[in-house]
Amino acid sequence: MKGQWSLWTKMLCHHVVNKSSQMSPSICSRLGFQTCDHRFPDWNWASFYSSMEKPLRLYSTDLEPQLSSDLIRIMEQRLSAIEYRNAYLQDIIAKPEVSAGEFSSANKELKKLGGCMDLINELRAKQKEIHSLKSLMDECPDDKDMREMVVEELNEAVEEEKRLQHLLLKSLLPKDGADERDCILEVRAGTGGEEASLFAMDLFKMYERYSQKRGWRFEVVDVMESDLKGYKEASGAISGPGAYGKLKFESGIHRVQRVPVTEKSGRVHTSAVSVAILPQADEVDVQLCNEDLRIDTYRSGGSGGQHANTTNSAVRVTHIPTGIMVSIQDERSQHMNKAKALKVLCAKLYEMERTRIQTSRSMLRSEQIGSGDRSERIRTYNFPQGRVTDHRAGITYHSIDDVMEGESLDIFIDALLLKQEMDAISSFSSL
Amino acid sequence: MEDYTANTQMGSSTNNNFLRLRTSLEDLYALWEERIVKRRPFQYIVGCEHWRDMVLAVEEGVLIPRPETEVLVDMVEEVVRERKDLREGLWVDLGTGSGAIGLGISGVLGESGLVIAVDLSPVAIAVAKYNIERYNLQDRVEVRQGSWFEPLQDVKGKIAGLVSNPPYIPSEHIPGLQPEVGKHEPISALDGGKNGMDYLLHLCMESASALTPGGFVAFETNGKDQSKIIAEFLHTMPKNGFCDVKIRSDFAGIPRFVTGFLR
Repeated sequence: MKGQWSLWTKMLCHHVVNKSSQMSPSICSRLGFQTCDHRFPDWNWASFYSSMEKPLRLYSTDLEPQLSSDLIRIMEQRLSAIEYRNAYLQDIIAKPEVSAGEFSSANKELKKLGGCMDLINELRAKQKEIHSLKSLMDECPDDKDMREMVVEELNEAVEEEKRLQHLLLKSLLPKDGADERDCILEVRAGTGGEEASLFAMDLFKMYERYSQKRGWRFEVVDVMESDLKGYKEASGAISGPGAYGKLKFESGIHRVQRVPVTEKSGRVHTSAVSVAILPQADEVDVQLCNEDLRIDTYRSGGSGGQHANTTNSAVRVTHIPTGIMVSIQDERSQHMNKAKALKVLCAKLYEMERTRIQTSRSMLRSEQIGSGDRSERIRTYNFPQGRVTDHRAGITYHSIDDVMEGESLDIFIDALLLKQEMDAISSFSSL
Repeated sequence: MEDYTANTQMGSSTNNNFLRLRTSLEDLYALWEERIVKRRPFQYIVGCEHWRDMVLAVEEGVLIPRPETEVLVDMVEEVVRERKDLREGLWVDLGTGSGAIGLGISGVLGESGLVIAVDLSPVAIAVAKYNIERYNLQDRVEVRQGSWFEPLQDVKGKIAGLVSNPPYIPSEHIPGLQPEVGKHEPISALDGGKNGMDYLLHLCMESASALTPGGFVAFETNGKDQSKIIAEFLHTMPKNGFCDVKIRSDFAGIPRFVTGFLR
């Protein structure tokens, strides 16, 4: 009896909590609830976003390594290749007899090269300027005033040339097309039982806070709770500019060292939680066919339809070719649960496709940081010592509370972004 | 039992949903009793049902929209994606109840769509109107009171799409229904006559003259045999029958829906 009662009040509350804003006031007052859900506070997200909006920095700008002459030589070769290709494509679209298909594919490629070509043209103009300044200097070796002026201009031009070369180098580095996408976060408790589940919850909330601080939208997709209200598994959808690009380095094993609440003797335990960040995809990216999907509900037998009254709206979607199954039950209607399940399924299929392409391609080292091995231990959270160590960046940060509050994650993320960039540069010169 | 959550040091956080009760526990207990003892449907107690992306007000006298029925709207969405003429035409929801199907269709038709929602019951008319106004769709969903095609004489032969979830439970099954349904929901929205198909067959016959040529129908049925009979009936109807008649299952695998296009 008691159990039923508590379930009942919980159900009533839950029903109202998530949707109270959409219900008529009379319904709320009939129930006598005033609700406040910390996850979806009823405030103006739009103004929140705009107040948080900061220019996004995808590549580091503060640390510009001196480009070696070798690197510049290699880059020059690439640049001439691009210029040649550009001229060739221009030629094609100028021809009157070209077919529509050829025209559009050439046009597409030209557009892709466009940004790069603008920089190249600028660089070429600068180089021409430098050349003429140099010859001017040779022509009048005796005019001191003139020489000084020319040297000054020459220095400026050389600086500008360097800046353009840097920009070009960055535009030539391999980019992950998914960086700008939204992402799905999955947290799963690993070894360590209840303690791992509790830490999985802590991590999940850390990412939630981090997302909120950046003005991203964080939506809980599904949570499977453990006995002590930790998270055995949890997933969330994070939307905001560049969310995947920022968070992709978080994939991997996160290790925690602390005295678990379940531990009576005060011994420090080590547990592990795995985190996966998947770029979000839509149905266009993965081309879901209706025939490949099996959708079922958990309602047991019976005639259904008008015969039955139910409050259970859980949905399970199975992708038959891959056997991937996604179950969602935390939305209030079957329709919404199905939509959410399809979203998660798309992200999973898209990620599978990406991994397939990446492994079939020659792997750049930079790609391994971001989306490579999920079983790699990437970070340790040591509570007794109050530190967090990232094993890839080799950085230890000594205020663990800040990190768990979602404040200082950027320290690791920026270091890893920089590392990725440096790796890409070094692999560029070794090609 | 030891209270683990009291120890906040380890970050096992407490429940963050705060609830302040404005009603006494006695009143809540009374509601609970209504639910458990009298088996009053949960949706009537809270006064609403979540259906598709909407929250619809419901009360005694109006059928609580079923999850299965959401798929009827999905089917309309698929049809109007292919057929622009139907997307811009007039749609009708017969026996609208809370207005669920009509509102759902209005959602998939978009700004240019026009839906007429028909019901005989004055309670249903009031609830449907309330729901439509809550979503501010009174310009796109019109409510008319009357029996099936009766209030639609002025648009006869001009309807692009007709969707209905009419009463389809055979009369003899009514006494054995789940108490939430049989004791609390309106029997007039459930009882479909001797074999459950009185209204379905009526709708099939009349829709041939109500629809514009090429128009679309979609019905919810009781399942297996009913869907087969209705599909067969649509296909072999005298005068101008229906083509491309299909039976579609709900997510529990029951052949629930019948669709077709007027020749």
